[in-house]
Amino acid sequence: MFEKVLIANRGEIALRIHRACREMGIHTVAVHSTADADAMHVRLADESVCIGPPASKDSYLNIPAILTAAAITGADAIHPGIGFMSENARFAEMVEEHGFVFIGPTPEHIRMMGDKVTAKDTVKKLGLPTVPGSDGAVATVEEAAEIAGKIGYPVLIKAAAGGGGKGMKVANDAKGLREAYTMARNEARSAFGNDEVYMEKYLLHPRHIEVQLLGDTHGHAVHFGERDCSIQRQHQKVVEEAPSPGLNASERNKIGTLAADIIRKLGYRGVGTIEFLYDQGKFYFIEMNTRLQIEHTITEMITGIDLVREQIRVAAGLPVTYEQSAITFNGHAIECRINAENPETFRPSPGVVQSFHPPGGLGVRVDSALYDGYRVPPNYDSLIAKLIVHGANRNECLLRLRRCLEEFVIDGIETTLPLHRRIIAQPDFINGDYDIRWLERFLSNQ
Amino acid sequence: MPNGKFDLDSNLVRKLAKLLTETGLSEIEYAEGDKRIRCATATTVATHTVPVHAAPAAAPAADAKAAPVIEGTPVTAPMVGTVYLSPEPGKPPFVKKGDKVKEGDTLLIIEAMKVMNPIKAPASGTVVEVLAGDSKPVEFGETLLVIS
Repeated sequence: MFEKVLIANRGEIALRIHRACREMGIHTVAVHSTADADAMHVRLADESVCIGPPASKDSYLNIPAILTAAAITGADAIHPGIGFMSENARFAEMVEEHGFVFIGPTPEHIRMMGDKVTAKDTVKKLGLPTVPGSDGAVATVEEAAEIAGKIGYPVLIKAAAGGGGKGMKVANDAKGLREAYTMARNEARSAFGNDEVYMEKYLLHPRHIEVQLLGDTHGHAVHFGERDCSIQRQHQKVVEEAPSPGLNASERNKIGTLAADIIRKLGYRGVGTIEFLYDQGKFYFIEMNTRLQIEHTITEMITGIDLVREQIRVAAGLPVTYEQSAITFNGHAIECRINAENPETFRPSPGVVQSFHPPGGLGVRVDSALYDGYRVPPNYDSLIAKLIVHGANRNECLLRLRRCLEEFVIDGIETTLPLHRRIIAQPDFINGDYDIRWLERFLSNQ
Repeated sequence: MPNGKFDLDSNLVRKLAKLLTETGLSEIEYAEGDKRIRCATATTVATHTVPVHAAPAAAPAADAKAAPVIEGTPVTAPMVGTVYLSPEPGKPPFVKKGDKVKEGDTLLIIEAMKVMNPIKAPASGTVVEVLAGDSKPVEFGETLLVIS
């Protein structure tokens, strides 16, 4: 097992990783920018190294600085966290070239799933259903029109180098296709440096269902059930729950087994999540994330398994010692992502947290790096806390969640707590009757 | 106590008390034969120890912050790495305390991923203090030396 792990990330996820390491007796090294010198995980880590000024490109995305920090502290392994370089195959390669273990999958698998066209091709060949669409990249608008004619409007034009909900344009009919296609290519070029696009049928009322997976280096792969992440705004998840109120036990079992099969066939190492759109009883693969996800927490609550610990264990070459049948699902869990933003305009609200009181009690978990007097820096994404609630069933979970949101205090900055209080009061949410466009429809009707 | 009688020498006590204040000690014990006097200042040491995991309340890695204030312009590390004060092992260092330097002179090297990066003087002046240690790691922003 590793003696020292360097955490190449920040915020609440860095704290999460630190916690898992410390429980395993592993020493932690927190690399940070000057803006994060007072971050909680930096204060708690066994060692900290300031690697650059606030800008991400000079700090958290600064490969030489991170590798140097690992060398001077004698780290054995590097955990890339979420975002930043967690899905950067070149970074994973360089980490290994320099003699450290990258806590994640191989660079080959990162690359394979990072290109959304290759990913779709790969899983299709391995037997996963995919959204009907183009067979690979679409080179011209004429080709796009032909494909749209075959699969039927509306269609979605997506960046091959995109992902995480970025770089997508809808064309509702043949008239709008040229504009959507051109804009999608231009945006892809400027956002990802790669203007390759592919097309998919635009599903009208799908749910976003994703399956949590784990593979080891001994050929063993398991799934930890699904998460429903349909509550989204601008393709960013806002509320997640496990299990999905939209699936029954047999569908759950079917999709979980299918997904676990894929990673077993690939010989995939580490945690990963396969994301699907679920529409009218059918599942369609959209992408695979070859890293830990923000909402891994709700899976942990219903299975009782520490996913970061499992990640570290398989990276150290240890086998997954339990069978699929040993993984049980208990109760229901919901996560609310709380951002430092105005709850109506979503304008970012960095600044000093004057008072921070997280809710507590049975079945309540708050993953946050906040503390009284902490200054939320303006340089990074706005996620500041995750409220995760567990109950014996979905109803108990909802009641507990309402109580927790009432109790939660974050003063001094604006947060999306009021938005969450409104969401959970909606009958549609209470009934579990929502799709991936529900939240945006709800917000535009206000 | 072995013998019963013990005459309190108040002059001795006063002397000890004065010594305490003058020297800034918190406690003095004076023994002669089998007589012993102990004086301690009123400000006693706190008896409860803050457990290690309460450390988050205090500032960590206080080396940079605990450093005494030195007059002059600090030259800070533009990158994380290992400092080498000499161009080669065994050779004399680029600069010592008291040396005069011109703007652009190499002051030391920071090595990162096997690449040697010379750190140049931002202005002309005199080296007031060299804080970086040879072959020691430095963080981004850490003060390497001070130039006046």
